[in-house]
Amino acid sequence: MAKINMCGVRKTFGNGHTALKEMDTEFQTGTFTVILGPSGAGKSTLLRLVNGLEPLTSGEITVDGIPVRGKNLKKIRGDVGMIFQQFNLIGRLNVMTNVLVGRLWNRPWLTSVLYLFGREDRAIAEKVLMRVGLAEKAWERADRLSGGQQQRVGIARALAQEPRVILADEPVASLDPVTGDNIMQILREICDRDKITMIVNLHQVDLAKRYADRVIGLNAGEIVFDGTPKLLDSSILSHIYRRNSVVKETTPDALLAYA
Amino acid sequence: MTSSDNPIPPKPFNPAPAFIAVWFAVLWASCLGLDISFTDLLTGMDDMGEYLSRYGTPDFSDLSRYLELLAQTVAIAVCGTFLAITFSILLAPTAARNLTIGPLAYRAAREILNFMRAMPDLLLALVFVAALGLGPLPGVIALGIHTAGFLGKFFAECLERVDPGVIEAMEASGAGRTQTLMYAGWPSILREAAGYSLYIMDRNIRMATVLGLVGAGGIGLALHDTLRLFEYNEAAALIIVIFVTLLAFDYISSWIRKKIS
Repeated sequence: MAKINMCGVRKTFGNGHTALKEMDTEFQTGTFTVILGPSGAGKSTLLRLVNGLEPLTSGEITVDGIPVRGKNLKKIRGDVGMIFQQFNLIGRLNVMTNVLVGRLWNRPWLTSVLYLFGREDRAIAEKVLMRVGLAEKAWERADRLSGGQQQRVGIARALAQEPRVILADEPVASLDPVTGDNIMQILREICDRDKITMIVNLHQVDLAKRYADRVIGLNAGEIVFDGTPKLLDSSILSHIYRRNSVVKETTPDALLAYA
Repeated sequence: MTSSDNPIPPKPFNPAPAFIAVWFAVLWASCLGLDISFTDLLTGMDDMGEYLSRYGTPDFSDLSRYLELLAQTVAIAVCGTFLAITFSILLAPTAARNLTIGPLAYRAAREILNFMRAMPDLLLALVFVAALGLGPLPGVIALGIHTAGFLGKFFAECLERVDPGVIEAMEASGAGRTQTLMYAGWPSILREAAGYSLYIMDRNIRMATVLGLVGAGGIGLALHDTLRLFEYNEAAALIIVIFVTLLAFDYISSWIRKKIS
C-alpha cells in the first residue's frame, strides 16, 4: 500500500563516519526487499532513516509522498511497523499488552497511559495475535516465551499498527534456522496478503534467495547490487561482501550505527 | 612466539599503604581536635553502669498510650513515604537521561533531587516545626522531602537501565514519551522500585521515632518528655516498645523485599 522514495539520502554520524553515501532508490508498494551486506555496511541505518529513528544528514525520504521529518514523524511511525533482532518486547508485560503497544500511536494519551483501549483496538490485537498463532499465549508474560514466539509477538505488535510498511532489522539473527525460516514465511505471507511493503535486513543469503522479490547489496554505505535474487551468484556475493573498502571503526558511536 | 626474553617490568606502585596511613593520620588528628581521651572512657565506666541501672525496671503501666503514640509514629512514616513516592514518580522520569524532556529539564530535575537529598530530615523537621507548629505534619513533610530525594534518584537510575531497544521499539511504533514511560518504563522497574520504597518506609519509621524529639509528633516526643522528667522506668518501657517495633518492621520489610526480588 505504500511506496517509499529515497532521493540523495546521505547519513553522516556525529563522529564523522558516513554510514550512507548519496543513495537514490525506491521501494514499490507490496514488494519484499532484502538488504544484504557485511556488518557496518549501513543496513540498520538505512532502515532507521525510513521511520526517522535517525535524522537524515541530507536528501529526502518520502513514504507515500509524505517526507519523513518533523511533524510527520508520529503519523509515519504509525504507518511503518518495525521488527527487531532482539524482539524488544516489554518482558514484564503480558503478550496482549505488548501487542496493544502497536495501537498506542493512534490512541489519546490520557486513556492509553491508564492501559485503557477501545473495543476496536482489542479486536485488532486479538486478530493479529491469532494470525501469528499465539492466541493461547495472550496472557503470558512476554519474557516467558521462546525466541521464536517472542519474534512472532514482535510481528503481531507491528501488525497491530495496521502498517503500510514493515521494516525488519535482522529478524532471524537470534533464532535457530528452522524458527528463522518460519518467521520469514510469516513475513512473506504478510507481504503477499496485505500488500505491505517489506524491507528486511538479513545475513542469510539462502533466505534472501528464497523469500525476496528484490535484493539490494549494500557495502560501505553504497548500493553495489540491486536486482532479483536469481542474479545472486558467487561473484556478485563476493562483490557485496568484499571487505577491503570497509573502514575500521571502533568508537562507540560507530559501533552503535552498525548495531 | 609467546616466550620472551624481556625481564619482568618494575612492580607498579601500590597506593594502598599510603591511603591507610593517611586515614589513620586523619583519625588521630580528629581525636586530638575533639579532646577524646580513652582514660576518661575507662574511669567513666562505673558512672555509666550506675546511670544505666536506673533503667532497670521498665514501667509498662502506660502501655496503651505508648501504643497509640507508636501508631502515630508509624502513620507519620507512612504519610511521609507516600509523599516521597509521589514526588519521585513525578520527578524521576525527567531525571532519567533516556526519558527526559530536554537537557535543561534533566539538569533541573537532578538538582532538585540532590537538594532534597542533601537536606537532613531532622533539620527540615526543626524548620517545619518552627513554621507550622508542633505536631505530626512537620514530620510528614520533612520525611517526604528528604526521602523523595533518595527515591527519585533511585527511580531515575533504574529507568536509565531499561533496555534501550525496548524504548526504541516504543518510539518506532509512534508512541509518545508518556506512553513509553507507562509501558516500557515503570513496568520494567516495578520490582526494584517496590523493594526500594519498602526500604525507605522502613527507614522512615526509624527516623519518625527520632523526629518526635524535635517536636514533630509521635512516640519520640513522649521519650523526650520522660527523659527530661527523669522518669527512667517509663523511658525504659518506651525504648523497649520502640526497639521491638523497629526490629519487627525490619524483619517484615526485608522478608517482603526478598519475596518480590
